[in-house]
Amino acid sequence: MAGEQLALTVLMGVFLVGVVTLVSRMENLRAYTPLVSGDAGYGDSTATSHKPSGLIRWLTTVDHKDIGILYGIYATIAFVWGGLAVMLMRVELTTPALNVLGGTGTYNGLLTSHGITMLFLFGTPIIAAFSNYFIPLLIGADDMAFPRINGIAFWLLPPAALLIWAGFFLDPLTGGAVGAAETSWTMYTPLSAEQANPGVDLMLLGLHLSGISATMGAINFIVTIFTERSPDVNWANLDIFSWTILTQSALILFAFPLLGSALIMLLLDRNFQTAFFAVDGGSPILWQHLFWFFGHPEVYILVLPPMGLVSWILPKFSGRKLFGYKFVIYSTLAIGVLSFGVWAHHMFSSGIDPRIRASFMAVSLAIAIPSAVKTFNWIATMWNGNIRLTAPMLFCIGFVANFVIGGITGVFLAAIPIDLVLHDTYYVVGHFHWIVMGMIAFAGFGAIYYWFPIVTGKMYQKRLAKMHFWISEIGVAVTFFAMLLLGYLGMPRRYATYEFNGLIAPLAQVTTLHQVATIGAFIIMLGQLIWVWNLTQSYLEGPVVEDEDPWNLKETGQYSREFEWFGEQLDTTDEDTPALAADGSGEPSDD
Amino acid sequence: MAQEEPEAGASGPAKVSAWPLFVALGLAVGEVGVVMALYPLAIGGLVLFAGSIAGILTEAGYTERPWRTLTALSGVFVALGLVVVVTRTGTSFGAIESALASTDTIVLRGFSIVGAGIVALAASIAGGSVTDAGPAA
Repeated sequence: MAGEQLALTVLMGVFLVGVVTLVSRMENLRAYTPLVSGDAGYGDSTATSHKPSGLIRWLTTVDHKDIGILYGIYATIAFVWGGLAVMLMRVELTTPALNVLGGTGTYNGLLTSHGITMLFLFGTPIIAAFSNYFIPLLIGADDMAFPRINGIAFWLLPPAALLIWAGFFLDPLTGGAVGAAETSWTMYTPLSAEQANPGVDLMLLGLHLSGISATMGAINFIVTIFTERSPDVNWANLDIFSWTILTQSALILFAFPLLGSALIMLLLDRNFQTAFFAVDGGSPILWQHLFWFFGHPEVYILVLPPMGLVSWILPKFSGRKLFGYKFVIYSTLAIGVLSFGVWAHHMFSSGIDPRIRASFMAVSLAIAIPSAVKTFNWIATMWNGNIRLTAPMLFCIGFVANFVIGGITGVFLAAIPIDLVLHDTYYVVGHFHWIVMGMIAFAGFGAIYYWFPIVTGKMYQKRLAKMHFWISEIGVAVTFFAMLLLGYLGMPRRYATYEFNGLIAPLAQVTTLHQVATIGAFIIMLGQLIWVWNLTQSYLEGPVVEDEDPWNLKETGQYSREFEWFGEQLDTTDEDTPALAADGSGEPSDD
Repeated sequence: MAQEEPEAGASGPAKVSAWPLFVALGLAVGEVGVVMALYPLAIGGLVLFAGSIAGILTEAGYTERPWRTLTALSGVFVALGLVVVVTRTGTSFGAIESALASTDTIVLRGFSIVGAGIVALAASIAGGSVTDAGPAA
């Protein structure tokens, strides 16, 4: 033990010396104009800015566009990790017995990693990728209000991911002494408090860091949208995506510090002998209240910005303005407020007071109203429009369709009597995957395709993008509809194996539905392989976009500020622009 | 490290800072060190965190020199560490002193936070007297 501590001391000393050396060498780059000493005008920044080259640029950047790209790459890596984890689980579930993974522990570890990765390391960062890159452009700001805090918020995420995944790496190195956390993403006590595995502590620390990151980002967005808007952008004409990011940031501001506090309490329970969630202390139910007071708003933290993306992109390819702009904003705000009043609908079966339970049911059902306002406004926007089925538009339409199924299955779960039957079955898994994969990821894909020309200066391969959509949509429908049916048959969630009394459900049907879900998951994976291939190949070799209006938005009066900015970048020869990829080859676009 | 005031507007925004990466790394390493009872990581991480906070505030022009920030943060660490120690030992000086020989990891983690504070304080005193006292200051 003493030897290990000595080795760590030496390692830490060398590291700190390295940091001091590096920072000393960075001194000549320390020329960023602090915002407190007065802003340069928006147009001035591109004329005089400079960046170091290579890796140092990406490690030290505080430019919102670079940080947006970093978030995007990071989220994609996390998406791949989370996706591979679930593929292993789906393969395991094709037969009732455990015969693919080494043990249930591996399954539980993958389950935990999949959930936390997809929500915190993919979902939140992919939204931050769009908001970091585009919010300043959409509101005419020079940069984020606090560029360095923006950098800190991003750089907290790589250590967070490494800690959350640490158990998988350390398991072989420590001979199983530190393993993957097996708590599920809800980290319910007493399970999470009493598991001796230090991998749980590492996971909780990683999650805590990701929460700090999200909170710092949220504060930055709130201040940016309030104070950095261009004079011609007011609340009445602020774009719909910025409105949803503003609402999301407010939710983060209230929800994530609570998660952070609850995580610290759990860490103290595990390491400092406190009793916040012990059965004879504060009680495991306290964890559920604290967790879901964060956890339910988290659902809307993840889904409101994608709704904003669809509200922004769908009108572009419908050739019409968004129907009911004001009411779409009001519904966003309404969902934001209501989201904090529904946390106990996750606890209907935990034995809480039935009168309290009924009030939570009422508020949960009420969220259907603003959700429907949005859905009908999207449909009304398309109504009689001049619809162009580009890849971004296909993903928007898929988003609306999937929301109808994902949303309505949620209405049933909000009703106490139905929830008591379906609680903790695959129905719940099917419901939230329609939302998470069918909506959040779909809106992300749509936005990636829509803004791909701005970020890379290239155009993607349109046929592959459409294939990506159709394969994904079919995969989503097959996988998650099978899960809804599995739930009706009483298949519990989170299990690595299953065995049924024939009086409850026929095992053969359950097995078949699991196999259908696994085939669907492979279909989804095929779609995502096409996506990664398309983006990588197009970024490297795609046709250079020379038209400032690659989507022909001027024709329908839908040309907007971010493409105006893109046009300005095309007109300048500055080495930093267009943002990621201009190689100046001047190849003609086939667009 | 020269700590001159950033030249506002002289060369335009460089959009570059070394500090955000190290603020994040310092916090992550420090947290892991304290919770997992890896004392060198706890001390090194917290010192890096405090130093980077002092650096980034100076760079952004919120403070003129980093040393007072570093001193303040070292005070916070010492206080926080002592709170952890005192929860295990009580407030009598003798008990705290004898706890230095303790094998209780919670006490030792408290002392590691105090230790980080002391190192940061030493760094701020050294930085203030050596860097600022030089003819180049």
